[in-house]
This record gives sequence, structure tokens and C-alpha cells, in this order.
Amino acid sequence: MSDARFINQKVVGSSVLPDEAIPLVEGDGRFLNDIHLPGMYHVAFLRSQHAHARIRTVDTTKARALPGVITVLTGKELLGKVEPFRSMPNRFSGGESVQHWLAVDKVRFCGEAVCAVVAEDRATAEDAAEFIEIDYEPLPVVTDPRLGEQEGAALVHDTCPNNYLIKREFERGNVDEAFRNAYLVVKRKFKIGRKQALCLEGRGCVAGYRESTFGLTLWISHQLPYVVRHYLANHLHLAENDIRVVVPHTGGGFGQKASIYPEEFVCAYLALRLRRAVKWVEDRLENMVASTHARDQTIEVAVAVDRDGRILALSSDVCVDVGAYSTYLWSAGMEPLQTAGLMPGPYKIPAMRYLTRGVATNKTPVGPYRAVGRPSASASLELLLDEVARRLALDPVELRARNLIPVEAMPYRNANNLVHDNVNYLACLKLAAAKAQYERLRVEQHSANGKLRGIGIACYAELTGLGTSTAVGPGTLLQPGRDAVTLRLETTGVLSIAAALPSQGQRIMTAMRQVACDELGIALDGITCVNNDTAMAPYGFGTFASRTAVFGSGAVIQAAKELRRRILALGAHLLQVPVGELTIVNSVIQTIDRAKTLPIREMAERSYFSAKNIPPELNPGFEVTSFYDPKFGSFAGGAHIAVVDVDAQTGEVNIVRYVAAEDVGTIINPAVVEGQIIGGIAQGIGEALLEELVYDEAGQPRTVTLADYLVPSALEIPRIELHHANTPSAALGGFKGCGEGSIIGALGAVTCAVADALNRRGGDIHDFPATPERVLKGLGILPNET
Amino acid sequence: MAREQSIRLTVNGRVYERTVPVRLSLADFLRDHLHLTGTHLGCEHGVCGACTVSMNGRSARSCLTLAVQTDGAEIVTIEGLRAADGTRHPMQQAFLENFGLQCGYCTPGMLITAIELLRENPQPSEQDVREALSGNICRCTGYQAIVDSVLAVARDTHASEKRESA
Repeated sequence: MSDARFINQKVVGSSVLPDEAIPLVEGDGRFLNDIHLPGMYHVAFLRSQHAHARIRTVDTTKARALPGVITVLTGKELLGKVEPFRSMPNRFSGGESVQHWLAVDKVRFCGEAVCAVVAEDRATAEDAAEFIEIDYEPLPVVTDPRLGEQEGAALVHDTCPNNYLIKREFERGNVDEAFRNAYLVVKRKFKIGRKQALCLEGRGCVAGYRESTFGLTLWISHQLPYVVRHYLANHLHLAENDIRVVVPHTGGGFGQKASIYPEEFVCAYLALRLRRAVKWVEDRLENMVASTHARDQTIEVAVAVDRDGRILALSSDVCVDVGAYSTYLWSAGMEPLQTAGLMPGPYKIPAMRYLTRGVATNKTPVGPYRAVGRPSASASLELLLDEVARRLALDPVELRARNLIPVEAMPYRNANNLVHDNVNYLACLKLAAAKAQYERLRVEQHSANGKLRGIGIACYAELTGLGTSTAVGPGTLLQPGRDAVTLRLETTGVLSIAAALPSQGQRIMTAMRQVACDELGIALDGITCVNNDTAMAPYGFGTFASRTAVFGSGAVIQAAKELRRRILALGAHLLQVPVGELTIVNSVIQTIDRAKTLPIREMAERSYFSAKNIPPELNPGFEVTSFYDPKFGSFAGGAHIAVVDVDAQTGEVNIVRYVAAEDVGTIINPAVVEGQIIGGIAQGIGEALLEELVYDEAGQPRTVTLADYLVPSALEIPRIELHHANTPSAALGGFKGCGEGSIIGALGAVTCAVADALNRRGGDIHDFPATPERVLKGLGILPNET
Repeated sequence: MAREQSIRLTVNGRVYERTVPVRLSLADFLRDHLHLTGTHLGCEHGVCGACTVSMNGRSARSCLTLAVQTDGAEIVTIEGLRAADGTRHPMQQAFLENFGLQCGYCTPGMLITAIELLRENPQPSEQDVREALSGNICRCTGYQAIVDSVLAVARDTHASEKRESA
């Protein structure tokens, strides 16, 4: 396949304009809520307003009597008909939670679905929900995981002693000895608030009955269509091949649309029972309480270092408020296990120990959100490194440089058992520092008149494109490591790529087209992509964990190799020249001297319409499916430098400069990659400074609108200066994932910058986001009650 | 009060007469009654800006506007931005060329707001653009590519005006 590259100009590496974005700028996108089937009913959910209560009685009589109401479904009616969601098993300790699709005996968080109302239109369904009468008996509420894990605390689930949904202790190397012999030991506490992915489009589905040849068709705003299909079959006792799952245009995912939730499964059940299509679209109020939350951690971390600041051992205690249920598929272990287990990041850690747990509370369950666990892991360690630097009078950049895993040491197995290879962390740090003119920044910091200027540096590592050798959620049994694409040469010579790798804006179809173009020599405008439809695409796990470009592109490369072989073999026969003399350029099969040419279109037409003139062994069909498993994941990395000004009067934090240097492997489409990285940084800034879901002591959510839960606007995000120091990975094409890493670096860099600014006036900060109130507390201007 | 009311309005250059429930929002009217689904709902309480449409030349939150308030009004949605021959509006083209969108959900509101900005301030600074777009939430792009898209249109317009006057 290298000859195509030799002759063609490569398109991998260029910012090809994404055709797939055209409908979106022209107003022709087809999002879930844009789908309408004839006779379709609409569903609204009645949700619990109690954080924890026993359900004594449910009376739906008045609701059912409302004109336009078709039916009302309760949890009891589903018992025995469908399988509830049980915690996915994990290798560690912790109890099991059982989540009914509609609450049966108890409600365990505000927003939990209790009844589903089906009506001729959504407004009527919502009206009717208000007529349902439920007699609740309030139960003691668990809102603080630190209290919830104490003996004698109220239990969210009787099956979970101490409210542990997951608990793990880990030790590797001689941690005690390292701490005993250390030149310096530094400890620090880090708290990060509860977050929301805040996809601009909420969840939703249309469940169709007997559409085409399928008993059930589910259009769903989701990241994993085939996984949804598998679990629909399991939980509804259906044959998998009687179900079609289609993902339309999706208005953001970020992990929130990677879990399996009750509402869409209730709709699937209703469509089958009512023999009619039903639609449910989550409104913002529902999204804030019924779609998974994230983070919400308290971390205590300690490092032992030698005289030169080299880390000898790391010890951490991680407590995560995981909410009321073990999030289905991913389990409650996502945040607790990844935060503690991946805390070493890009740093050499010879010995480490942690205790981590996910404590059930009466809040919305915590699930995957961009870069699960690692932003807080990184920020807590980076803040600690800054403290080490201060105590040793070392520059923070120099301290980090001494501790980063150097290229010469690779492959390097860190204390958390992960192997670092094909990544250059130090190059990223040096590049970021050089581009930021770091030394000048420090000089300016000290001469900044009246301003509290802070500089934060964070280096991160992100394991991307995980193959079968590594579980995505450590300790969970879900090991998604293989994905397929089908390449099909159509009879007009156009290439179709079919895959089940949904894009929420990552332009994965454009990326796969670019890769296929280089591999096959078919012109880019002759390559299309059909994606996200289990009726048309081969198996794939979908989009999460910075994997899609690695898997999709790798599978394309593999399949293209075979398809190219078939095309050239038939081409050789039709042109009567040896295969070795042929290549494909711009959709034309040709001899290298171009003396003989055959457009692929002509070959494709003849192979199909004039097959009787072609030896069958040369005409096996021009459709190839290939599964790709990169086996190991590839580490991506980066270094971010944030400069902030803190207003000591108001506590406001303003980011004045932001420089990032990233190693994301071979880049397929630079503009797309930069969009991913800058978007991740923006979310990290929101996480560091603005975003927090708040509950009161009764377990009532206080932040249920976008006026309460603040995400960054164009004014809070500075212009990001982005640089690349890329090292190809060992995966096919040298690709790495880049969807999540930047949010890790951003949380670390911005939290360190704020702490650095406060430190200039003897202050400090441990609780994030760094709201004005917390900043003023950190400066001692407001009293700190803790 | 009557539960329904008749309205007559212009949407994307076409006149519509409809009888609508008085509680129906403009967004639901556009999406469900006229099947113009290019306008998106992100929060339904006027914060996110995804549902922004042009009403009598000014941007308006279609989620906070009742359909009955638009009687006699002239509405333009994302579907009405293209020229009659199908050519994309320069702002649509700039969003495409500058990668000013990822999931595309906020795009309709961004386009309407950005077009309004350039009509009022043809040569905005980057800070002007950020201010103007601050009522439109994008969760994907970090705004940079969107800001660049708007600045690109302003630059191109300026350049072509200079060419014409030269």
C-alpha cells in the first residue's frame, strides 16, 4: 500500500473540510427530537421529589382519565417482565445495587423515574403526570459520603454495608519504607465538586414498532449503539437480531450518553406493548437530575521525595460520592478506581498505595464523563508537586522535568502497572515552557502591580485506544477492545465505509475517509461513510475513552489492504498486466507509467454487471469487513501552562494566558484535533472555576437549570495557544486518541495557577471549583468554617 | 381566555396562517407545526441560546417567545439563511471552513447571533465577538473556532468592500 502514498499526496495530516458538517450548518441536521413517526405517542416521566423514601401507594386513576392519555406505567407493572439493572460485577469489594427502570418500593434520589405517562402529545403527558398521586414515607437521607461510610449510617441499599458500592486497597513497592526514608514528605487535600457533562442536547429516544423488518427499532441519542442493542435484548428478553439501533445526529456525548439508563428501555418496552411508536426527549430539568453526574471527590494525597525532589512513593485516599446506583455497565468504580489507580499520570512513581471507595448517597448516580477520574487525579498530584517545589525551593517546571518518565526509560512500567511507550512527556513540557516564555512569565508575575498573578503547570498522560489487553474501567468486567468497519466498493466505484462508531462532532467519518483515501488511492469525494446503524454497520463498541479514531482508522487500514489486493487482482486481469505493475491513483487503476489505465468505476461496474466474463476467483465481491484490536492502548500526553489573575477584592479569577503542548500521535485532521483539544480545555476551565452541582442536606438538588449550573461562555475561555510534539503510537497508522486528555491538563493547570496566585499572599485553596467565595476564603478575607 | 388563537406570520420569506394553542412556544411552533427542525432547544428557559431565531431583524429566544406573539412578525431561522439558489450564507460557509462547530447543536443560535452582530458592528474586535456570543453556549469547541469563523466573515466582507470601492 505504500506505492499509493508514494504517488498520491497524502490526505492524512491535512485539515480536510468535513462534508459531514454541511447538514449541520445548513439546518438539515437530524437530531433525535427531529424524528417523527406517524401515530407516534409521547412519554413523560413522573420523577421522585424525595431523595429517599418508601413508596406506600401509587394511584394513577386521575391521570389515566385525562383525555389524550393512553396509559400510565408503574414500576410494579414491570416486575417480572423486564430485568432491572444490577451493578456490573467487579473484582473488588462493595455491595450490589439493583435499579428498577421505574422505582418499585423505594426512591433513592430526586429525579428517579417513578411512572411513565404515555399520551398523544408531550404536553398532555406532562399534565397527566401531575395527577398521579403517590404516598411517600420519607427515609433518612445520606448526602455526605464521609458520614455515609461510618458504621451505623443510614443505608441507601440494604445490600451495601457502609454504603460501599466499590472499595479497593492497592499497594505496590515498599511505600512505608520510602516514606520513612524520605528527605521530605508533603501531604495535601483536594476536593472537586459534582459535575455535569451538560450535553447541549439531552438524552432521548424514539422506539418504533415493526419498522422495516425489525420488531423494535430504537433511535437513540447515544454513544454505543451495538451495546444498547445487546442489553435491550438481554433485559427485554428479545432476539438481538430483531432489534435495530440507530444513532442520529447527537448534540454532545462526553460520556453521559455512554451509559444505559432506564428511560430509553421503558420506551422500548412501551412501543412493544402498545404496538405503537413512542418518543421521549429529556428536557433540561430532567437532564440535570436524571442523567449521570461526575467527579465529586475528596482526595488526600501524600508524596515522599528525595533531596532532589524525585518522587519515591505516592499514597492516596480517595472518597467518591457515587450517588444512588452503580451506573449501569460502567459500575460505580469508574471515578474511584481511575482516580486512585491513574494518579501517577506521566510521572515515575516507584511505589504507590491507595485506598479508594465509591460511597452510595441519595443523589443522581455518577457515571463516565470526559477523562473519568484523571482530571482530579492529575490536579491533586500537580498541586502537591507545587508544594514540594516551594518547600525545596525548586522551580515547578524543573521539578516536573525531573519526575517525568523520560523517553530513554521506555517502555517503562509504572507502579500502577501501566506501560508507557511511544510518548514524549518531557518534549511537551519543554515546548510549552518555551512557547509560553515561561521564565519571563515568572519575572512578570513578580512585577505584576497589584494583581495576584498565578502560573500553573500540569503534565498529563492519557491511555487512549485501549485494546483487549486492558479494561477501560479497571476492575469492571467490560473489556471492549475490538471494533470493525466494512469497506464496500459500490457498483459506481464509490467506496462506502460502514461503522458503528458514532460521532458527536469528532468528525470520525471524515477521519476514516481520509485514511481510506490514502490506503486505497480512491479520491476523497468518492468515499462516503454510513455510520451508527446496527442494520448497516458491522460490530463496534462505539465512541468513548478516546478510542474511536484509533479503532476506526486501524480497521480501515486493515480492511483496505485486502480490498486493495482484490481491486488490483481484477485490475491486472482486465488490463492484462502483472499485478506488481499496478497502482491506484485518484480512483484510477494504472500502470506506473500510466500506459494502461482503468477507472475503478469501470472495474466495479464490470465486476457486478458483466460477471460472467470474469473468472470467479478474481471476483469475490468488493466488500471487506475487518476487526481491529490494537491490543495495548497508546499513551497520549501533554503539558499545559495557565496564567491567571485573581482579583483579591472580588475573588474573581481571570485566565490571561493559556499555552498547551500535546503529543497525540500521528494526526489525521489537524483542525479537528485542535477542536477536540481546545474544547476539552474549555471544559477543564469550567470544571476548575465554575461548574458545581449542589445538593442541600435533605438531598434536594439546588442547581437544576443553566442559570444555577454555570458552564463557560465565550468570555471565560481565553484564546488557547496550542502546539504539538507528536510521537507516533504503535497502533496502525501511529494514531492516538485525543478526545479527553486536554481536560486533564486543564484542570491541573488552572487549579495550580489559582493556588499559586493565592500563595503569593500566603493563601491556599483546596476546594474546587475556585468560586469567588472559595478564593476569598483562601485569602483569609472570608472566614473559613472548616 | 381562548385556548387557541389564529396567527399570520412570515417565516423564511413564506407566509403562514395557523391556529395555535396559546401556550405553544415559537420554538415548538417552528419545529412541530412548520417542521423547521433546524432550530434547536437546549434549555427551554432562555439561557443556552441554541433556539435563537431572527424576529423582525432582532435575535430572539424562540423558547421564551409564544407563537401567538409572532402574529404579523417576520421570522428567519437557520433554514432561511441560504440564498435562493442554495448558496450558503457567508456565515454558514465560514463556520464550515473554520471548523466552527462540532456536534452542531448550538450552531443555529450561533449563526443567527453572529449575523446580527456583524450587521450592527461590521468590524468587531475579538472581544466584541466574544461579548456578542456570550449568551450562546457551546459545549464542544471552546469557542475559538466559532470566534474565528465570525472574524473571518468580518474580514472577508471588509476586504470585498475595499475591492469594490477601489
